[in-house]
Amino acid sequence: MINPTTPVQDDSETNYHNNSGSLRSQMSRGYIHGDKDCPNFPCHHPDQNCTFCFCPLYPCEDPLLGEFVVSKRTGGNVWSCQGCHWMHRDDVAASLFKMMPEVGPEGLDLKVRMELKERLQGKHRRRAKAIMVLGATSGAGKSLMVTALCRAFRNRDLTVAPFKSQNMSLNSMVTDQGEEIARIQDLQAKAAGTRPRGELNPILLKPKGGVTSQIVVEGRPYRDTTVQEYYSKFVPDEAPAIIARNLERLMRSNDVVVIEGAGSPAEINLRGRDVANMYVAKLAQADCLLVVNIDWGGAFAYAVGTLALLDDGERKLFKGIIINNMCPGGGTIGSLDIIERKTGVPVLAVMPHLPKLYLPVEDSMDLSLHEGGEGATVIAIVRLPMISNFTDFDALGLEDNVRVVYANEPSELNGASAIIIPGTKNSVTDLKWLKESGMATAILERAGKVPILGICGGYQMLGRRIMDVHGLEGGVSAEVEALGLLDAVTHFDSYDKRTVQVTGTLDKAGGTVRGYEIHMGRTERGEASPLFIMDPDGRGEGMLDEKGLVMGTYLHGVFDLPAFRRYFLSLMGGPSSIATEAMDQDAAVDASLQRLAKEIEEHIDLDALMGDDDDA
Amino acid sequence: MRKLMVQGVTSGAGKTTLTAALCRHFFMKGMDVVPFKAQNVSLNSFVTDDGGEIAISQAYQAWASGIEPTRNMNPVLIKPKGSGQCQIVLDGRPWKDIGRGGTNQEMIEEIRSHILRSFDDLCLGRDMVVIEGMGSPVEMNLKDRDVSNMWLAKAVRSPVVLVGDIEKGGVFAGIYGTYLLMDEEERDLLKGFVINRFRGDASILGAGIEELESRMEMPCLGVLPYVRFSSPQEDSMDLRQISGGVRGEGDVRQRWIKELDGLLEKWEGTWDLSKVEGLVDRV
Ligand code: SF4
Repeated sequence: MINPTTPVQDDSETNYHNNSGSLRSQMSRGYIHGDKDCPNFPCHHPDQNCTFCFCPLYPCEDPLLGEFVVSKRTGGNVWSCQGCHWMHRDDVAASLFKMMPEVGPEGLDLKVRMELKERLQGKHRRRAKAIMVLGATSGAGKSLMVTALCRAFRNRDLTVAPFKSQNMSLNSMVTDQGEEIARIQDLQAKAAGTRPRGELNPILLKPKGGVTSQIVVEGRPYRDTTVQEYYSKFVPDEAPAIIARNLERLMRSNDVVVIEGAGSPAEINLRGRDVANMYVAKLAQADCLLVVNIDWGGAFAYAVGTLALLDDGERKLFKGIIINNMCPGGGTIGSLDIIERKTGVPVLAVMPHLPKLYLPVEDSMDLSLHEGGEGATVIAIVRLPMISNFTDFDALGLEDNVRVVYANEPSELNGASAIIIPGTKNSVTDLKWLKESGMATAILERAGKVPILGICGGYQMLGRRIMDVHGLEGGVSAEVEALGLLDAVTHFDSYDKRTVQVTGTLDKAGGTVRGYEIHMGRTERGEASPLFIMDPDGRGEGMLDEKGLVMGTYLHGVFDLPAFRRYFLSLMGGPSSIATEAMDQDAAVDASLQRLAKEIEEHIDLDALMGDDDDA
Repeated sequence: MRKLMVQGVTSGAGKTTLTAALCRHFFMKGMDVVPFKAQNVSLNSFVTDDGGEIAISQAYQAWASGIEPTRNMNPVLIKPKGSGQCQIVLDGRPWKDIGRGGTNQEMIEEIRSHILRSFDDLCLGRDMVVIEGMGSPVEMNLKDRDVSNMWLAKAVRSPVVLVGDIEKGGVFAGIYGTYLLMDEEERDLLKGFVINRFRGDASILGAGIEELESRMEMPCLGVLPYVRFSSPQEDSMDLRQISGGVRGEGDVRQRWIKELDGLLEKWEGTWDLSKVEGLVDRV
């Protein structure tokens, strides 16, 4: 039905009816997912279902699904299915497959087709319901709210996708297709039961230090920019088209799209230049929820002020306000009706402080939120000025007996059972800081006594030197002496960035490791043995010194699976340290997501939120 | 007797630091200035020369004003004791414990009269008082029990400056919402606003500030740059903040005053102190 090489369909109805044979053979082939052997695959999108390559409903003439275009061949009007994702959803195809009657040599007549479509439409929305969560401030709890909504809708057997048009984040991850997205969108995809992909977070802005940021579009590095230029050029010229095409695809292929805003929608100094909030809400005609954090006080003011600064059309999209983070035992809050009287928008729910869930928190530089665990084994993470990917350590905080702390100065390494130098946005400048702050000396003093692990930039710092001849990291050409605890030299010799998901085996103790690499620069290992043996080619990754107490790796998320976590903890010795029951991180995340969904079900009437409006 | 009150859009908006900075500024101008905060919720207290317990932040503000702390600078101190219990310290002495039910109207009246008496005693013979509010002045559910924000401003007829923290985002909404929820008399006392903890080039805020100034019909008095400053605990319950300040040797107080002077230097030119001074007499 679809020929991806020409944007305009050339089928005509007559042409199609000659194909009733194809329709019949298609039915006898049975229900399939994506037909990866088809030379045209994927003609719509990589996750498409190919059961109905020939659509039994053709031509449905439903403007929500396809459109009439001018045929190149005949010059007449022809029905095009190019934009239809409906027929290629797993759930829609499965339902239709069950409903299909016997196909005779004449194909299906109009009445049958209409009936089939009617029934199918009763089960699956043709266009998603869009629900958008906006925050009165940063850190209001938007991300978790979106995550919870995704899982709760998923639990109702709906096809769900999260969306955030623009994210500024230091914590990114790499999908199985090598696309880079913010880690929180990855979690939301897990909650929604959909594949994490660039589409869900089409613009990702990664601060690189100083005034420069890298723009990642649809998961791929796009270019570097300054904040100034980002707002004056990229946002007006390029962002709208990028956002619109990704959002539209999601709206056409899901029952629900849960959209997350960024920061506050009422930054009135940015009027007209904010593409992360009301711009998207209007584009999707989303039902909007405003989340207000009550923890800091001022919740009444933020709720009323935010809505008062929007225009009428924007305000009308708001269906409710959610007061978030009510402290336990806080009782009820009186006078909430004042908010509705002032803004016309009701307070839908007062959500409690969510219990400590095992989830990476909303992207925040507030590292104290990541400090965690209660044990006697203290693992000190060196708080580099340009620290990145600090969600790497959340898994450690889950272990019994382990406490993760961030060390700002050398004295804070005292008593630590292990030291980790984390990833950084800039190895060269952070290495300089390490030396100047006295942190380097403190680390060297402890070498050989406690395990020391460097991840990514931290790994580069543990080596002998960093060669940045083109000044890719530091801005000026430099050859920097590093800590010299590992026999390794790192070269920054091209602007290439390695972004890949990897798995492998722990060389020393066996067991699977999983993680992702996001870095520039390559590290040459001397004679020392690698830390991991990677799939599928047995390449060595990372390294380990002779005593086995200094380790370096490029793998982010290295603690997520139990094998390496257990090994690392075992190096600390002592009765207090070894975690006996190594926890499976994926299962823990899933359990957390279910609890989150349950929590939101208890406080918000999701059926009312979905409404009974049909998708037309 | 001149007065100026600092109120915040949220807890931790920077009221404590701003109050200390204003005290310091007026002290340096040779004025006989005192700090006042009607009520504090804090675990960090200080014992004054006369054996009274007050919140540590008023003690620091007193030192910034070049005087020793006295108990009437902070007549009500609420000390959380865990599991919903709080001890109320009144005029520097433990008064009573309250449970989940909180205070009743009768207690509120008694507390209010103590506050006004302390205020009058404190101000006697002084040139100026800088009053710090608590939390947000428009927690509508708590308004009838207010003893530290607009109730006090009205009772002592003090002009008010509102400070909002831009770090959390949504600062325009926070400031405007606070204004919208005030009644006529309160809006009348509110004379201007300050944006705190800004990082970067303040010119990008221009359009937003102008819009707020015209909506609220009052000036923005300054956009204060973010300065890392180890203030002795804002009026927040956040225990993580307590550790700040004690590093190396020397007298912490001295060190802190030096830091405060450094802060005032860094803020110079980012706020309009002459306008602030002008407000003081405009009630
Ligand atoms: S349902 Fe989709 S594929 Fe089928 S005819 Fe309609 S537009 Fe074409």
